[in-house]
Amino acid sequence: MFLQLTLGGLSQGAIYALVALSLTVVYRSTTVVNFGHGDFVMAGAFISYVLVVIAGVAFLPAAVLAVLAMFVLGVLFSRGLIRRVRGGPHIGLALMCIAAGYVLRGIARMVWGREVLPMPRVFDIEPIFIGNLVITGDAVFIIGTVLVLLLTLFGLLAFTDLGKMVQAVYQSPRGARLIGLNVELFDDFSWGVGAALGAIGGILIAPVSLLHPDLGASFLIKGFAAMTLGGFGAPFGAVLGGLILGVAEQYAGAYIDTSLIEITAYLVIVLVLFLRPQGLFGRKAVVKV
Amino acid sequence: MSDLLQVSSLGVRFSGLTALDDVSFTLREGEVRAVIGPNGAGKTTLFNAISGYVTPTSGAVLLQGRDLAGQSPHAIAEHGVRRTFQNGGLFPALTVLENVMTGLHAQTPGSFLDIVLGRRHAIEAEQAARAQAHDLLKLMSMDHMADHRAGDLSGGQQRIVEIVRTVASDPPVLLLDEPAVGLSPVARDQMLEIIRRLAGEKGVGILLIEHAVELVMSVADRILVMAAGKRIADGTVPEIREDRAVLEAYLGYA
Amino acid sequence: MQVSSLPRLRRRLFWAVPVLLLALPLLTNEYTQFVANGMLIAALVTLGFSLVIGNLGQLAFANTAFFGLGAYASAILSATLGLPWIVTIPLSGLVGALGGFVASSAALRGIRAYYLAIITLAFGELMRWVYVHARPVTGGTNGLALPKETLFGFSLSDDKVKFYVFLLVAVLLIKATSNLLRSRLGRAIMAVRENEVATASLGIPTARIILMTFAWSGFVTGCAGALFARHVGHVFPESFGMIQLISSFAMVLVGGLGSILGAVLGAVLLTALPEYLRAFPGLEELFFGLIVGAVLLVLPMGLASLLRRASPLFSERYYRE
Repeated sequence: MFLQLTLGGLSQGAIYALVALSLTVVYRSTTVVNFGHGDFVMAGAFISYVLVVIAGVAFLPAAVLAVLAMFVLGVLFSRGLIRRVRGGPHIGLALMCIAAGYVLRGIARMVWGREVLPMPRVFDIEPIFIGNLVITGDAVFIIGTVLVLLLTLFGLLAFTDLGKMVQAVYQSPRGARLIGLNVELFDDFSWGVGAALGAIGGILIAPVSLLHPDLGASFLIKGFAAMTLGGFGAPFGAVLGGLILGVAEQYAGAYIDTSLIEITAYLVIVLVLFLRPQGLFGRKAVVKV
Repeated sequence: MSDLLQVSSLGVRFSGLTALDDVSFTLREGEVRAVIGPNGAGKTTLFNAISGYVTPTSGAVLLQGRDLAGQSPHAIAEHGVRRTFQNGGLFPALTVLENVMTGLHAQTPGSFLDIVLGRRHAIEAEQAARAQAHDLLKLMSMDHMADHRAGDLSGGQQRIVEIVRTVASDPPVLLLDEPAVGLSPVARDQMLEIIRRLAGEKGVGILLIEHAVELVMSVADRILVMAAGKRIADGTVPEIREDRAVLEAYLGYA
Repeated sequence: MQVSSLPRLRRRLFWAVPVLLLALPLLTNEYTQFVANGMLIAALVTLGFSLVIGNLGQLAFANTAFFGLGAYASAILSATLGLPWIVTIPLSGLVGALGGFVASSAALRGIRAYYLAIITLAFGELMRWVYVHARPVTGGTNGLALPKETLFGFSLSDDKVKFYVFLLVAVLLIKATSNLLRSRLGRAIMAVRENEVATASLGIPTARIILMTFAWSGFVTGCAGALFARHVGHVFPESFGMIQLISSFAMVLVGGLGSILGAVLGAVLLTALPEYLRAFPGLEELFFGLIVGAVLLVLPMGLASLLRRASPLFSERYYRE
């Protein structure tokens, strides 16, 4: 029972980790928190659904296409909209993100109505039984994919010039500009990567849960909870926060009450911000006035 | 004259790094006291520790005998130690008059309920504050700018308005963080005049961070010299001019 | 024009609007009266929201929850405890204010900006969960119906009767909010938005100012919730969801961040539309999303900024962009 819950929690948490990480990618390079990110995640899942179920494309090429589409959308959003409101009232940035999220949600609902859509199973892998523990193909697939992605990403950040650029822009955008980095282009790229990573999260969760246009709202909260727990702006913290949240949800649901699964994320946010606002690995988040 | 502010053995440590090390000095009524020292000497940390933006790890800040160390910035300001900011602390979207009126916030009577219900004495208090703010601006010959958006003023005018706002409540102690930086020669003379008047006519004790040595020498009564978080000298202008340690540590390479 | 006569003219204009509106029920039919009532409620919701995101400058998502809290408080107090509805209005306001206080209490711990936004988002979602799961009190997904009532012999099921009550509440709350913004407290609210560190240096307890703003915003919005409960006669959890949030954002932005006049304008303009939008699923989200985006790009300070530019009559003494 305990192991089973932990495994389920980890595979759910892997998705949260991905969402939180994609939020962190954008936040670190642009200092914008994308309050519409949940809908970007939802949009990725929907595009893959359209390709698989309606256009009859196989899952893997459909997933790749959806991720590419979301990358492009992220870049276009940054170039076309975010850049233009950067100079205005600072609340405008967040509102622009929210607006974009609602537009995506509106489009999804216009196409799908208020239905809830089941995505066909992707891989019919036989579950593995170890004693009482059942390891489903989905869990293997999700955890495996996220693990590969994370290793690639952290590898890139640690061992390449790209990683140094990311660090430079995070520490000082002005300094980065002075040494000749095109910070605007870099921002666009980060938005693209953030949207694409979030889309992967949506695509991974689609086959094991139900799709609906309001999916994004819950992903946004879970992503924030993971990020808050791990510490804002800390990529590794975001991943760890996601995994802990996933497992915590399962335990709370099984050992206390199933209705608690929905609100574990909110409780995590409230507890962390009151008790340890900087999270596990973040910078100090409070003001002193 | 009596000591207004007594800073004793003030220290600030950030995770192993000592930003301020055992600094002591006093400030008298009506006295202008400059704090000088090379970059990184701990001058701004000293200001932040006195005004509460950084919590001192040791020592005391006594205002007329009452210890303020470790209190929150707004509480310290309410007790009468007020400061300005190096990179400007005005509220750009508010008018000049409104900026000065925020300086009178704590003295203006009227509870939340009185204000919301529009009770007469709350409205009268508001009108009185408005008139008082007008008078203060007039004193500094800034009343013609009262209804301008503060963000539209020139750099020098903004600094003057910030000082008017900060002294609106008649605080006994004023901390000025580089008030003359970036000012034109004319505006700088005007600033000096304002500082002298505040100290001379109103008896405000002024602590002043400044880089321009000739300005410091012309306005300060006493000078505190800092380097690497420590006090290295403290004395009158002629004394500091003669001080070997100062010449070596600070003026020596200027 | 004399300088001193401008405020007087402005004050007369302020009172002329509600006086003229007294005649409105003579001109309306059942449907337009219902829409007009909705506009008054939306004006208060927008006003409460604008106070937080426009004047205080904090991104927050909890106002939908204050609205829901007010509506549920009114429904529970009148349906379960049998209080006259009219009495539940200020009580709902107090419940909303309590919500505002709780949602922003993290400010006392130094939490600001994005963190405060996230915690208010969590608070809002948590409240929706409570509406659904606290079934014995809230009726769960079935919601709660308000009992039929009369006020001084007039039926409160009549939209024209409701209109006069709504108008009175709206005028009082708008006037009170205007008093607040024109006082030292209102200046402090905007000072926090402009530069919180400098605000504290003037002896102003900024965390308390933040809590006060949220609480007053909660009070206004909670009262609006009580009006809403009577307006539709029934409270459901779905009434306080995502659409409510984006339409509030749109109303604040279209009218102009931080402007009272703008809040009323934005609410009036955008309340009439959704009835037509509701015919197609998704159209509301798309419409409000596009409106918010477009206003941000084209007219970031909303319609109020156009009016201000057109005549000094519309300049609000406590707000400048």
